[in-house]
Amino acid sequence: MQLEYFLLLAAALFCIGIYGLVTSRNAIRVLMSIELLLNAVNLNLLAFSNYLDPAGIKGQVFGVFVITIAAAESAVGLAIVLSIYRNRDTVDMEQFNLLKW
Amino acid sequence: SLMGMFLTLLWSPGMIRLTGPRPAGYVNLLTTVLGFLHCLLAFPAVWHQPPLLINVLWLDVANLQLTIPIEISALTIGAAMLVTGLNVLAQIYAIGYLEMDWGWARFFAFLALFEAGMCALVLCNSLFFSYIVLEILTLGTYLLVGFWLNQSLVVTGARDAFLTKRVGDLFLLMGVLALYPLAGTWDFTVLGEWAQTTELAPATATLLGLALIAGPMGKCAQFPLHLWLDEAMEGPAPSTILRNSVVVATGAWVLIRLEPVLALSPVALNTMIAIGAVTAIGGTLISIAQIDIKRSLSYTVSAYMGLIFIAVATHHTAAALLLILSHALAQGLLTMSTGSIILNTITQDLTLMGGLWSRRPISGICFLVGVAGLIGLPPLGGFWALNKLASGLWETHPWLVPVLLLVNGLTAVSMMREFGLIFAGQPTQMTERSPENGWLVTLPMMVLMGLTLHLPLILQRLELLPSWAALNKDVALLLLWSSAMGCFIGGLLYVGQRVSKPIQLPLPGLQALFANDMYTPQLYRSTIVFGVASLSRIVDWFDRFIIDGVVNLVGFASLISGEALRYSNTGQGQFYLLTITLASVAIAFLVGWTFLSPFPLLP
Repeated sequence: MQLEYFLLLAAALFCIGIYGLVTSRNAIRVLMSIELLLNAVNLNLLAFSNYLDPAGIKGQVFGVFVITIAAAESAVGLAIVLSIYRNRDTVDMEQFNLLKW
Repeated sequence: SLMGMFLTLLWSPGMIRLTGPRPAGYVNLLTTVLGFLHCLLAFPAVWHQPPLLINVLWLDVANLQLTIPIEISALTIGAAMLVTGLNVLAQIYAIGYLEMDWGWARFFAFLALFEAGMCALVLCNSLFFSYIVLEILTLGTYLLVGFWLNQSLVVTGARDAFLTKRVGDLFLLMGVLALYPLAGTWDFTVLGEWAQTTELAPATATLLGLALIAGPMGKCAQFPLHLWLDEAMEGPAPSTILRNSVVVATGAWVLIRLEPVLALSPVALNTMIAIGAVTAIGGTLISIAQIDIKRSLSYTVSAYMGLIFIAVATHHTAAALLLILSHALAQGLLTMSTGSIILNTITQDLTLMGGLWSRRPISGICFLVGVAGLIGLPPLGGFWALNKLASGLWETHPWLVPVLLLVNGLTAVSMMREFGLIFAGQPTQMTERSPENGWLVTLPMMVLMGLTLHLPLILQRLELLPSWAALNKDVALLLLWSSAMGCFIGGLLYVGQRVSKPIQLPLPGLQALFANDMYTPQLYRSTIVFGVASLSRIVDWFDRFIIDGVVNLVGFASLISGEALRYSNTGQGQFYLLTITLASVAIAFLVGWTFLSPFPLLP
């Protein structure tokens, strides 16, 4: 078990998250992809904290904060999606293009 | 210097513009008479005196000093006298002729401009200022030919007169400008001395000579720049008097003053002889084939200017000057007489005229005297001028004498034809009721007839005629014979009633060729005009499409790129995210590149 593996795993997770963020048409899945990104970040933070700073473990504190903020953000995000859904009766991302050209 | 000051008074008519049509004419006539009287008074004062030179500084910049040299000699005062005298007569004539016209102020102002210009030309002794005056006269011709500007033929005629003379003048300008570095002066007298001693490369001398010829060639209506004089016959008749007699002689005057410079190049002299001979023979032949009374005379003018070209090219400047004098008087008289016919016969078509001798004796006699004064018929002026030229040619260029005789004879034929068609035969519908004109038209005509008749006497008093012993009798006899033959043939064909009119030549093509001025308009149109027009169209197209197009292309490209690039704003939030991600990766890669290569993160 080395630091690099964790970092590579986190990077792969980040890439998957980006892919989902950009390609998915469902707004909920976009929010889920954002969670994936945040998890990838958390993985990074914890890995660095374990391998490079085992005494101070500042990374773990950051991780706790990130989880908190992620929860708050998905709450707000879901609320936004809900309010859009109420207005437009859909969660298809391709329908929200008021600014086209 | 006092004299010079007075002579500048001649400029004053050009300033006068009065509101009513008639006073303009009277005032102009008055100033012209004053100018003429002044010349008359000045002439005895300068006779047998050395030329008096006055220099007036015009411009002094850097190392170029432009002075206006004025030469006051018997020759220049005599020429000014001729100019002002013919102007007096033409203006009296015009007062009668333009009775029914409103444009007196304009007309007389133009005439005054001409008079002033010609006096300035003959008095000034510098090539540069001669050129300036020639250009002013070109503009004057444009204005005067275009006097009745609501007629379309007048407009085209004025245009051609201006452009054709401008072309010649521009070549003259090239010559004038090329002469300065060579000679360092534009003063005719100094130029003459320079030409005696200089040793110029033959090519330079040839080009210089050809350029200097080109100006007078356009001015004197020489082949191939002769069409303008034909079309300038659209102008009012009184101005035609001046044009036929004096204005075309302005080019010849410059040519005579330039004779020492032209003598540097034998090629230029031969060109002049060729141009002169071609124009003289062609002009007379064309004039025989014309049916327009004024145009028939105008080609004779071209022919006589051609003779002057020959005279200058063979160094007979004195003969050329004498020829200008006699031709001016005789041609002025002829034009006045035909103008008087046109004024109340309305038509200018020779084929519609006839039988005027019994009713218009004065015009007829004037015409005959004009003819006699023009061709070599002793004892009138034309004979002495042509005789002087012919006997000069006899010694140096004998092969040119037949040309002279031929031109003389053909002119006689042409003139007798015109006389026969106008005055002899039965009256036609157009000439059934044709009274003699009022005194304003007839008086100047008769005075000019008197002058033409007295010219030999005047010349004798001034001791300009050769003595009987010095006369080359063979040449004189030949000249007399050619004139007599010409008059006889012309008279037999046209005054006599044996031959049916209109006469058809056995070769109708040849007749049409001369009647149509050797198709010169078509020639111009298919060569120069076509070339310039095509070139202008190409340049215009190039400017419109290539030059403008390149600049417009820049604008168009930015427009198109804006139009095309706006599609990158897809309106999809996820697309923006993708762009942001890709851009961040790209930036990170670029920034990180320098760190990555020397310090690899991974082992």
